[in-house]
Amino acid sequence: MLSVDRVLEEPVELYLYSRDASLMQGQATCVVFPHTTAEVAEVVRVAERHSVPIVARGAGTGLAAGAIPVDGGIVLSTTAMNQIEIDVENRTAWVGAGVINLDLSNEAEPFGLVFAPDPSSQSACTIGGNVANNSGGAHCLAEGATTSHVLGMEVVLAGGEILILGGQAPDMPGLDLKGLMVGSEGTLGVVTRALVRLLPIEADVRTLLLDFEELEGATRTVSEVIASGLVPAALEIMDQKMTTAVENWLKAGLPCDCAAILLAEVVGEPEAVEAEAALISRIGLANGAREVKVARDEAERAILWKGRKSAFGAVAQVSPNYYLHDTVVPRSRLVETMEEVQAIADRYGLDVYNVFHAGDGNLHPLMAFDASDPVMLDKVHKAGEEMVAACLSRGGALSGEHGIGLEKRDMMRADFTELDLDAQARLKEAFDPGGIFNPAKVLPEGSRCFDFGGVRREIPDGAWV
Amino acid sequence: MTAAAGGGPERVAPSSVEDLVTVLASATEEQRVVNVVGGGTRQGYGSPPPPDLVLEMSGLAGIEEWDPDDLTVTVGAGTEVAELEAELAERSQTAVLPEIPGRSTVGGVISVGVSSLRRARLLGTRERMLEVRLVTGDGRVIRGGGRVVKNVSGYDLPRLVVGAFGSLGVITSVCLKLWPVPPASATVTIDDIGASERVRRPLAVLERNGVTEVFLWGTPEEVSASGGRLGGVAVEGHHWPADPEGPFQWSVRVPPASTSAAVGRLPAGWDYLAIHGAGEIRAASADSQGADELRSWVETSGGALVETQAPDGALDGLDPWGSPPPGLEIQRRLISQFDPGRVINPGRLPGGL
Repeated sequence: MLSVDRVLEEPVELYLYSRDASLMQGQATCVVFPHTTAEVAEVVRVAERHSVPIVARGAGTGLAAGAIPVDGGIVLSTTAMNQIEIDVENRTAWVGAGVINLDLSNEAEPFGLVFAPDPSSQSACTIGGNVANNSGGAHCLAEGATTSHVLGMEVVLAGGEILILGGQAPDMPGLDLKGLMVGSEGTLGVVTRALVRLLPIEADVRTLLLDFEELEGATRTVSEVIASGLVPAALEIMDQKMTTAVENWLKAGLPCDCAAILLAEVVGEPEAVEAEAALISRIGLANGAREVKVARDEAERAILWKGRKSAFGAVAQVSPNYYLHDTVVPRSRLVETMEEVQAIADRYGLDVYNVFHAGDGNLHPLMAFDASDPVMLDKVHKAGEEMVAACLSRGGALSGEHGIGLEKRDMMRADFTELDLDAQARLKEAFDPGGIFNPAKVLPEGSRCFDFGGVRREIPDGAWV
Repeated sequence: MTAAAGGGPERVAPSSVEDLVTVLASATEEQRVVNVVGGGTRQGYGSPPPPDLVLEMSGLAGIEEWDPDDLTVTVGAGTEVAELEAELAERSQTAVLPEIPGRSTVGGVISVGVSSLRRARLLGTRERMLEVRLVTGDGRVIRGGGRVVKNVSGYDLPRLVVGAFGSLGVITSVCLKLWPVPPASATVTIDDIGASERVRRPLAVLERNGVTEVFLWGTPEEVSASGGRLGGVAVEGHHWPADPEGPFQWSVRVPPASTSAAVGRLPAGWDYLAIHGAGEIRAASADSQGADELRSWVETSGGALVETQAPDGALDGLDPWGSPPPGLEIQRRLISQFDPGRVINPGRLPGGL
């Protein structure tokens, strides 16, 4: 079906394709690289015939262990499905699941268009992965996460059935199946191509850097900016520890002697960005900002963003391992949540670095540690679970943009009732009665109140390492 | 809970989620067809059988939780859109729901899947959805999503209920993402639709029976600069056009770039309101003549022509939805997991679902 050069079976290769950017390790049976949707359908049929799970995989940048084969299975790499067809008139593009996020925007740029979702990993992560995880990014404050930009898709479902869902026209009749596929982490089928919305590149942009002696000044600035009627393109906060790590690595000229920095960006017509930038400065200064720096040109702007998007890389420079969490709280409860996150880290004797999408209330506490020390690893997991619980107790959510995967599936019970999870399991069952697509992800074992005869797989020992 | 006597179907207005559970569980047991009514403004969709029971949602209304700082609001499904938006406007916020809602309710607008006229800029009703609570046909109370603006925990049930006509359950409350209303706004009438392109991302470009208006909002500086670029006659504030009304009502859905072409193909005499940039046209007509040809053109262009209302007993031979959508079998399986007796609004969805 697929030629030998498009199937990997060597142990080293299988090892590599059994990992993603999480701390977990799975076990692949083989890795395949289909070129077309028809080939994917063929792989699905073979997998079903042999009752072997299928785990679709883009670039493996996922942080929630959503793309690792838990207990054997076919890893279906989408990287060979990388066509881009742009429709300039309608501002849409059909994009192969394996296309890299940034490549799409680069391809669209000559037409004055851009793909809005911009996860920090955008130079590596794929559109298929973005669709699977409903990825966000710094700019989804104003423009929404991936789901707001997916208009349609080609999918392969159970039985190898190929469907085109949605389309360029709005509100296509019937249940919105393509919307359900977005964020389903490969558990309902395999998305082979996505029809995405592109946005016109804005006429002008201003990027501001404000530094605060207290974190609260930064978060209050965020609240007041939004209360003024403005939804900036981005509002990002980094705490002192994170800022220092970034500055030591990149020399971006970030102030390291303040409690927090706020990176704000406004886009639009030139008159608008001028007025909006002035407004943000005013609000920032009134809330204790020591200084407001406005990027003078694209080069300065690029370095500020590089600082933000390299935050995780910066920590990798100072620590052998890090564990990054992703949770959300109502924006009004950011400060108290941050304080508790710090208290939890202190209690476990862990270093925590903070960078977050302040406008969305989306926290990314990052714990630096040495994974070769099993005691440390255990502490990190326990502290992480407590941080998530702290967010949930404030009306927050388990994950804002990284997904549930294997990492958080057992925490789903802390957020949802048995009936809620049963309903989720029923959605899964309607698509994938045989339990072939990315099993053991998203939903905890036993979510379905009544057994449905699918293959049950326990997480093998050591999957957390 | 009240039940009115008299002819026709029984009418029930549950005053709590528990009431609703009882009503739906017994409807499923007794195989009684339930028609859910919010404001009763959009009861013309699909081909439903006559109901045994009319479920009025007015008892599950009101704002449950609203912290303006969070840009989220949680409301009962029976809350009237106009009431909610008036409340939000006092703190300069909007849920970006339809502008002239009449007596439409939040739950009704979501279940039917109609959107704001601002959808080209701020997107449709599905993008408002953060959390949904619903009661399934067999009386299970379930929740999906959460009360935060960003959430990827589990399958996206909140967005799935948009346009689902209650087939996954009767919505009892939702948490919506809000948008702050900026200080300045204007409505600019222009002669030529092409002029609207001088503003990169206007709030809305609407064409009502040949008259084109551009809606702007933002800082005063931005609104006045954009207004100047457009030319035309500008007035302060937003003066939203009403949806066309007539015995027959239609929703034309085409790729955005085909909006003008679709307007050009509307049969003579149809009133219309086109949302440029979104590919949606709302239309009304005295009869359904010419709808067949329009539908075949629209479907060939990758869209749909939906008959959203027809007079009682109109025998125009048209399927209200047009060609059946892909994945009907999966849709049927999904629905059977949530409404196993298929008692909530059967026949409203395409494909006879």
